[in-house]
Amino acid sequence: MADTKFSSTADYVASEQLLASVNVAIALQKPLLVKGEPGTGKTMLAQAVAASLGKKLIIWNIKSTTKAQDGLYMYDTIQRLYDGQFGEEGVDDIAHYIKLGKLGEAFEADEQVILLIDEIDKADLEFPNDLLWELDQMEFYIHETKRTVKAKHRPIVIITSNAEKELPDAFLRRCIFHYIDFPDQALMEEIVRTHYPDVEDKLLKDAMEVFYWIRSMKDIRKKPSTSELIDWINALQIGGIPTDRLRQELPFIGVVVKKDEDLETVKGRTD
Amino acid sequence: MFSKFFYTLKDKGLEVSLSEWLTLQDALNQGLCHSSLTEFYYLARMILVKSETEFDKFDMAFDEVFRGIMSENEVGKNLLRWLDKPEMQDVFEEMRHEMNQEVITLDKDDIENKFKDRLRDQNEEHNGGSYWIGTMGKTSFGNMGGNMGGIRVGGTTGYQSAFQVVGARKYRDFRNDKVLDNRQFQMALRKLRQFSTKLDIPETELDINGTVDATCNNGGCLQIVMEKPRKNAVKLLLLMDSGGTMIPYTTLLSELFQSVHKSNHYKDVKTYFFHNCIYSNLYKTPECENGEWIETEWMFRNLDSDYKVIIVGDAAMAPEELYSATGNYRGPNGGLSGMDWLLLMKRHYKKIVWLNPKMAPGHAPWREAETAIKGLFPMYKLTVDGLNQAMMKLMVNR
Repeated sequence: MADTKFSSTADYVASEQLLASVNVAIALQKPLLVKGEPGTGKTMLAQAVAASLGKKLIIWNIKSTTKAQDGLYMYDTIQRLYDGQFGEEGVDDIAHYIKLGKLGEAFEADEQVILLIDEIDKADLEFPNDLLWELDQMEFYIHETKRTVKAKHRPIVIITSNAEKELPDAFLRRCIFHYIDFPDQALMEEIVRTHYPDVEDKLLKDAMEVFYWIRSMKDIRKKPSTSELIDWINALQIGGIPTDRLRQELPFIGVVVKKDEDLETVKGRTD
Repeated sequence: MFSKFFYTLKDKGLEVSLSEWLTLQDALNQGLCHSSLTEFYYLARMILVKSETEFDKFDMAFDEVFRGIMSENEVGKNLLRWLDKPEMQDVFEEMRHEMNQEVITLDKDDIENKFKDRLRDQNEEHNGGSYWIGTMGKTSFGNMGGNMGGIRVGGTTGYQSAFQVVGARKYRDFRNDKVLDNRQFQMALRKLRQFSTKLDIPETELDINGTVDATCNNGGCLQIVMEKPRKNAVKLLLLMDSGGTMIPYTTLLSELFQSVHKSNHYKDVKTYFFHNCIYSNLYKTPECENGEWIETEWMFRNLDSDYKVIIVGDAAMAPEELYSATGNYRGPNGGLSGMDWLLLMKRHYKKIVWLNPKMAPGHAPWREAETAIKGLFPMYKLTVDGLNQAMMKLMVNR
């Protein structure tokens, strides 16, 4: 396992602790659960791990309607019924109509892959519990074909959560947990610079000042996050705004502050 | 290994399971903490603790087991300024190697005491020396120094020393010693469901019986019939007391509020706030500001009697707040007393329960308002059990 060690990549800056968490999760073969404020790069992490280890990334996006079964396999009954009408070839073979989900895909892959289960808290309360066996044993059973799909190479599983729902204890016990803190100014500067290496010092400094100033407001409804700062700096660069009046005029502030109420709060305090 | 740590964690109220503990042992066997206490701290935390709200408990247990009580860590502003020398970083890299060869291990307490003494004596900036606190030095104190066993002051480089992290108690704000878990609330709220297929949603499920019928009618040629999935038809109206006497229960109420809103299985959820008792207006926000409201009559007109109503409040109104037609000292009464408004509620909605965070056990005639309201609505204490009972009450037919 010496070759599977994750390190920061050219476009993703991870803190030492995060690096350690990823590497421990890989070494212990347990899923890594990453929690943190929206926009702190939870989803990006999986992409960075994949890039750093040179492995394929399979993303399973969870929505409120997603069921655990969707990730394993789907049996396309209706297609089979239709095909049966016309005596299509292969109708007698159920396996034709079994379509593997993202989890199944990760298990069947010929080499080790990274599986990102994104925003697991979006799903139903019972969702994580329904995946316990599959994530523990890395296998599942297809009833229709009486076949067991077993992971050829145990995938590296990264799970993200926005903490919209509490996750069940039984599920948590099996994970390695990492909470992404909001980056401090120094780390933030590094993060912005990996995205825009040639950003002007003055622009970056002033923009960050305004950004942290907005974040420090107690009554702001939605605190701006890293990705919003990055977008804003991009907008400022493209717009070629002179930086001297950044704080007074707040150009393109809509990129950073998204709610009407917040916009008023921020604008009310610029004077 | 470290079984004392295991029990201390349990003492501090962390639910560490045996399987997690064994995972940690496995990680230690694999040498994942590289024989460093700091890395051990992070390793143990990432395996044993699964919520940032518990980091603080973990920090305290760690501190207790691996060291005595923390002593003062106050570092003067001046000191931090003297130490703030980012330009020294490059020089430091070159020197690190040679310095590492003369690391002297010192007793923690010893270092700490010396640090305090030195802090008292020092009154100017020192860099590169071997006695005063400064950057680049070989003493046990300061920033970017070569002595690994010492105290690092401020600065940000990779790992902080475990004890400094512990001492910072960065996650204290996350801590909430709540008896009730949000999840338990949500599970209780789940009970409130009534499946129906009469909703306006797309037909996504195969209706097997329907398909068989249609196919037979069609002379054996396959005809697929789809149906709507069964969905919860329950509509919920949550009315929360946000008055002064409810302040001690703010956390509990916000847990309930969040649980209700996270429960995406209801057909509709409406929430309004009131102050002490329900009168002619209901507020849209918990601040209960006059103007930010809806008329209670509007609610009667627009939210039909099928809504299941949960009222949360301590039912500790003064008698005139309940019985006088001018008893609302904060807003309009609407010509009726609080009691009359509550009676209107009861008449309009078929299912109402009252959840009270500080309900007196059993019969409590001295709590006049509470007793009166108990006569109107079934009242339950706002606990997981109480909520479960209330949900049952909302579901059963009268």
